Amino acid sequence: MTYEDYLAGDPVILTAALTGGVHGKEANPNLPETPEEIGRAAAEAEAAGASVVHLHARRPNGERSFSTERFQEIDDAVRRYADDVIIQHSTGGTAAPDDHRARPLRTDPAPEMASLDMGPLNRYDRLTSENTRGLVDDLYDEMRTRGIKPELEVFNDGHLNEVHGLLERRDLSAPVYATLIFGPGTLTRPTPQNFLNSVANLPPGATFNTLGFGRHQLPFATMGVLFGGHVRVGLEDNIYLRRGELAESNAQLVERVAEISERLGRPVATTDQAREILGLSA
Amino acid sequence: MTCPFSEYRPLPDGDGTPRAYCAAAEEFVQAMRADICNDRYGLDHATDCEIYRANADGEVGNGNESGDAP
Repeated sequence: MTYEDYLAGDPVILTAALTGGVHGKEANPNLPETPEEIGRAAAEAEAAGASVVHLHARRPNGERSFSTERFQEIDDAVRRYADDVIIQHSTGGTAAPDDHRARPLRTDPAPEMASLDMGPLNRYDRLTSENTRGLVDDLYDEMRTRGIKPELEVFNDGHLNEVHGLLERRDLSAPVYATLIFGPGTLTRPTPQNFLNSVANLPPGATFNTLGFGRHQLPFATMGVLFGGHVRVGLEDNIYLRRGELAESNAQLVERVAEISERLGRPVATTDQAREILGLSA
Repeated sequence: MTCPFSEYRPLPDGDGTPRAYCAAAEEFVQAMRADICNDRYGLDHATDCEIYRANADGEVGNGNESGDAP
């Protein structure tokens, strides 16, 4: 995907990362945590232009959960409130045992998509999200068995090597869909040069999604639009609308990037268009 | 054993659900950090939490009968 794709005016898939697993209402009281809140937030994000919702699960008190049952409750709520949004489960999770990481894949029906972290990243001072190749392969194999489209999460350029490695080890269905992530710490340093470099190092034919953490969310979303990619925004990755002002909702963040995309000449993809672009079965 | 600095309090803005609160940092903890506070998934607050490590020597184990020495 390139600037030529931008000029062609191809639709942009907007993904809303509604809640995440790191922070909660202590960071932004508008961040949804319960299945009911997540379901309503998904519907609002869909109405604002999101065709994909990226989901994590929480315990009743807002702490992380990896349980299949909790993901099921969330999916049921999303389907109850939203129209036809694509459900994407996270399989990420720092320090969680490997068997916990696969549990989000086991809902009924399976999610249409699931994230697949491509390698390790540091958390705080003494924790690492390991994401060994063995775990990546195991999660991918279960996704393949259940007909789940992997969203390859690329936290830095080393993880781009891992994408190429996964393609050598496994036969991924086209198109390969990778989320390029920019921000602090283990993430790729958030500069325009690095964005272009990451895009250039994707496998041929791959589609990409753009994710900037915190204050980088808006500029990297815009670059994603301009260079033919897709965009993820949401309270998981950024709790502010602008400096010092908490976002009111996920939908507010989606609406802002939808407006930018439309103004720059790329329409926001409908859910049907998103399914076609991503090669999802109807 | 959970972290001796951990408490559960409701958020001040009306969320009545008790949430992990770090009495050392004097703030509510992130959802993921709560796993460390509670020593879930093989985590250990004494080795994995920099806040605990920075505060443990001065706050616990100094004659406090209820404290757990690090």
